[in-house]
Order: sequence, then structure tokens, then C-alpha cells
Amino acid sequence: MNTWTIMIYELRRLFRSRSMLLNMFLLPLVLIFLLGASLSGVVGMKEADEIDPVRVAVVNAAGGEAGTSAMITAFLEAPEVKDLIIAHKTESRAAAERGLRTGKYAYAVIVPSGFDEEVQRGERARLEFILGKNHTDNLVAGTAFDNFLSTINYKQSAVVALGPEALAVPPVTAEAGAVVMGDLNNGGKTYTASQFYAASMLMMFLLYTGLTVTGSLFSDKENHTLFRINSMPVKGSQLFIGKMLGVGLVSILQCLAIIVLSDRLFGVYWGNRPGLLLLFCLLMIIASMTFSIVICLFSKTSASATNVINVLTVVMTFVSGGMAPLPDSWVNSIGAFTVNHWAQQAIIRMMLHSGLKQILPNLWVMCLICAVLLCVMTVSYRKVGYHE
Amino acid sequence: MALAVLTDVVKRYDSKLIVDHVNFSLQEGEIFGLLGPNGAGKSTTISMICGLLKADSGEIMIDGLSVREKPLEVKKRIGLVPQELALYENMSAAENVSFFGKLYGLRGKLLKERIQEALEFTGLSDRARDKPSTFSGGMKRRLNIACAIMHRPRLIIMDEPTVGIDPQSRNHILESVKTLNKLGSTIIYTSHYMEEVAAVCDRVAIMDKGHIIACGTEGELRERVAHEEKIVVKAANITPALINELRQHPRISRVEVVQDAVEMYLPSSQNELQDILFIIAKHEGVIASLNIEEPDLETLFLSLTGRTLRD
Repeated sequence: MNTWTIMIYELRRLFRSRSMLLNMFLLPLVLIFLLGASLSGVVGMKEADEIDPVRVAVVNAAGGEAGTSAMITAFLEAPEVKDLIIAHKTESRAAAERGLRTGKYAYAVIVPSGFDEEVQRGERARLEFILGKNHTDNLVAGTAFDNFLSTINYKQSAVVALGPEALAVPPVTAEAGAVVMGDLNNGGKTYTASQFYAASMLMMFLLYTGLTVTGSLFSDKENHTLFRINSMPVKGSQLFIGKMLGVGLVSILQCLAIIVLSDRLFGVYWGNRPGLLLLFCLLMIIASMTFSIVICLFSKTSASATNVINVLTVVMTFVSGGMAPLPDSWVNSIGAFTVNHWAQQAIIRMMLHSGLKQILPNLWVMCLICAVLLCVMTVSYRKVGYHE
Repeated sequence: MALAVLTDVVKRYDSKLIVDHVNFSLQEGEIFGLLGPNGAGKSTTISMICGLLKADSGEIMIDGLSVREKPLEVKKRIGLVPQELALYENMSAAENVSFFGKLYGLRGKLLKERIQEALEFTGLSDRARDKPSTFSGGMKRRLNIACAIMHRPRLIIMDEPTVGIDPQSRNHILESVKTLNKLGSTIIYTSHYMEEVAAVCDRVAIMDKGHIIACGTEGELRERVAHEEKIVVKAANITPALINELRQHPRISRVEVVQDAVEMYLPSSQNELQDILFIIAKHEGVIASLNIEEPDLETLFLSLTGRTLRD
């Protein structure tokens, strides 16, 4: 009953502090909005561009309709190729080059004379490509024709090695389901700057729960109310647990407010696993609180504890890549030793609809961190205690 | 019947002895004064009685219960008014009393009644909804008391409850102490103000350097120094030579200079007054007044320790 009473009054006192309410509920939302809006070009990736069909000049070196390669014609008529390539039969190399310069064509293919015959003789298939000005168009057309040549040359090799019967083996078709399309992220989407900073700010402000813990533990010492409470029929553990439950509850409300309001106000998508998201937040609150309690128990003044927690929070947020995604470097490796790294990575994975297998390792690491910190906190509390 | 009994209580901080084999007992219904200068060990003794500190050795029994063995049961019977203000500045007076009342197990209608009673008793009922941050020092001290008495404890411990307040609030608090006692509470009152202790306490223990150096009623304690008289001479031109000569007088046991007055302690003024006046005149001191005072607790403390309570 005492624990409950202490928790209720702790909540009352916390909610009466305007500065605390502003710092816990308003500041994160403002930061998510500002960082998300201003760094949208820096953080996250654009949606994949649609590939427009490439205008390709096809030149028969032999010249005329009679020299047209049936194999090339069949390839260009295939529907999947038509989506990528718009073939324009061109009379000469010079005309193709002129078209490339003027922008009429984006790519040109010179089909050598006797292409089909050479292939039928079992010789290697060759085409000549003239690249255009646009890198993407070159890539698209080049990939399509390379694929065509590779397929022919593969068949030639098979015939040479295994004999003509090799061609009798039916090719594997798409209907056979040889390829299963995976979904590492949300249908090929990536996270936006708002999502990244929402996750990052949520983690940072949950780390700042430590400051609320510091305020709560030291205010009773500085007011001398701890001295009075210790003279009352209240167990030390009841007082301590009551106060921490109050702080924990405020942090849970803060977490819910950030998630719901960033979703409603800025359209931040938090993924498809709300339960798991809250579990990670809860573990983060436990880690942050226990970490701060240990610091408070060994600090003589509120100022020293606050300074330590402030510095550690900023450093951990930076090192874990919370300010901006870090490139692969030693700093990034150190990030793996921070608490928020594991929760933030898991939340971003949830935003991208990653499978449970990709998220569970982070959950186990978070659970381990919390278990270790809880043990350290318990030992510290037993050794130092909470009194004036 | 003894409500509190302290037997050979010892407390050390590191190697320093703060409370040194303290013994005293407290009868139900009395006001017991603990008098001593700052650092005498009064607050440490009180902290041990309240279970805030553990005694290194010795036994403290409250209402027949050992503080060491049944700390929570003992704490239910005690109301502590700490020396420092122990209040939540961002909660109203009523909320402060209510919070501490709930921790004493009070609930519902009884709690409401007790909050009202405590605030009325301390003259704060019209400021119940106001926050302590808007109170004067004296009002905060009274609220400090209200928070300790709302559960009607059998033993109220007041640790220097009048520090830093105006005379009016001090009188209010001293009257409150007497009223609480009349209502049935036993009280331990600590102070380094001799006048306060003499005014409200039935019995007094004088502490110095962790020891109880004297214990008894005010009359009993005065009796111990009845053989001494105190002569206070207010005079101009008090010189060091004058003081030296007074100190060398074989019948004068002690000479103190307090502002423009000279205080002298001697067995009897009757035979030595002539000598004293002669010495002052010899050093051209100009006497403004001369008083022969009855011995008091201050005199006793001085007699026992060689120091004043305010040293």
C-alpha cells in the first residue's frame, strides 16, 4: 500500500513540473518534426525510380531487310523486352551515331552480318554496342542485350559439351517457382528521415528518463523529505520501488505519446508490430532507469549525476548512429556496445517489416543488458542504500 | 511507566565517538528536554531513537519494543519533527499532511479528519490549499510539525523546532508543545536554547561531546550549582588588566566577558563583593549596573564543561 501511495504522489509531483512536461512530451515531437523535415534528403533513401523503356537503334551490318537477324527480331519482340527496349531499325551505323548525338536514340546495337548463321554454326554470339549519353539507359539496354548474348552463349556451350540433345531439355520457366521473392523490407521500401529520427529521438528521450530518475531520487534528499519518510513505518524498498514505478509510468506515457502523436501529426509509420515496439521501449526504459539509479547511488550530488547522465546519453546517441546513420567504421562498431543501438535497429527493422528472425536477436541482447543492469542496480542498492 | 529507555547507547562515525554510552529513560506523559551545544550528539541520539541510524552498541526500547528488532512497529509510535524543514514545496499544505498521513496508514474519513485537526492545531487551516513556497519561515515550521502529529503518535520528537524563526512563531510552537503534552503525547524536545528547554520541559538531560553530563528536573539541576552565584557587572572601560586581576582572585572560579558585561562565578557574593568593586575602581572601570543572579542551566553547563551552550 505504501508503494502505491508513494507512486501516486510521485506521479502528481512529476506532472506538476511544467519544465519536465515540456522536456518529456513536447521537445521530442518538435525535434522529430524539425530533423525529419530538414534532413529528408540526407537520411533515408528515395523510392526506386520507374525504368522508362530505352530507345535503341538496331543496325544490321549486312544492310536491308534480307539481312535482319531473326534471333534479334524474336528477342526484341518478346513482351518483357518490349517493356525495356523500344527498337528502331536503322539503316546504317552513321545514322545510329547521329541519332545518339541528337538524342533521338539512347543506345545503339550493331548486328554483325551473318549473326544467325554464326550462332547456328556453333560459334560465339557477338554484338556491337554504342553507348548513349544517359548512364541509366546504357545500363538498362546493356543489361538486356548482355542477358540475350549470355543465354545464347550458354546454349552454345551446352551443345558443345553435351551434344545437341542438351537443347531438348525444356528450360526452367518462371511458373516453376524456382525463385521465391523475399521481403527484407516493407515491399522494397526504405525508411524516411522522419521515421529514422522518430526512432532515434524516442531512444534518446527514453535514455533521458535517467534525468527524471535523478531528479526524483535527489529531490527527496535535498528537501529532507527522505529523512522524514525514513522515520516513518515505510520500508526502504517500498519507498524506492514506489518512486521508480512513478518515474517508469511517466516514461511509458511519454513513449506512447511520442509514438501516437508522431504517427498522427507527422505520419511516421512505426511498423507492423506494435506489441514488440512497446516491449523494446519498455526494455529501453528499464535499461535507462537502472543505469541512472546506479549512477545516482554512487553520486554525492544531483549536479554530478545529471552531468554524467547527460554526457552518456549524448555520446550513446551519437555512437549508436542516432544523430545520423554512420558509415562502416570503428565508431559504428563501438555503437554495438550502446543500449539504444539494439533497440533503435530493431525499431527500424520493424518499420521495414523485417521478419521476426531479424528482430529477435536484438530482443535477446536487450533482455541481457536489462538483466545485467538490474543485477548491478540491486547489488548497488544493497551496498549503498537510499537515505540522507 | 517508562515509554523510552536508552541503555549504554554508542554511535561512532569512523573512529569518532559521537554518542558515548548514553543512558536515560523517559516517562509516559512527560516533556523531556535534550539540551546541548551544536555537535553534542543530540540529533544522532534522536536519529537512533527513530530507527534512522543503528546504534553500534546498547539498547533503545520504545513502548517495550526494541528499535533494533521492531523498527517499523516503533516508527508507528513516533512522530518526528526534523530539524530541517521536510516538506514538498510543490504540493499544498493539505497534500503534504495527507501524503505523510497515508504513509502512517491513515485512510478515508479518518485521514480527512486528522488533516483538518493537524492544520487547525498548527493554525494553518485557512492556508490548507496553499503551497509551502508561499509560507513564511514560521508557517513552514508549523506545517513541519503538522506532518508529524497527524497520526497522534505516543512519542513526539522535536529536533530544534524553533531554529531560524521569529519570536511570535517560536511562542506558538512552544505553546503547541505544551498542548500536545496535555493531549497525552510524550515529547522529546531538543534545543541549544536553554530558555526554551527550561520553559517547556519537565526533565532535562544536558549533552556534551556525546555524553549525558547531567539529567534531572530544572530544580534538581539548579541545585547542583546552588553553591555558585553569578555576578553580572555592566561597566565601561573594561580592560584586560581588570579581567586578569579578577581572574586571579582566589574566590572567583570563572570570569567571562559578554559584550560590555563581566560575568563572575563564585561561591558567595556576600564576602567578595567589596573586593570586586575595589578591583573595578582600581582599574578605573565605570559601573553602570550590578546584578547577582540565581544559577540557571547555562550556569550548570558552564560549570560542568567550562564552555557556554552557544560556544
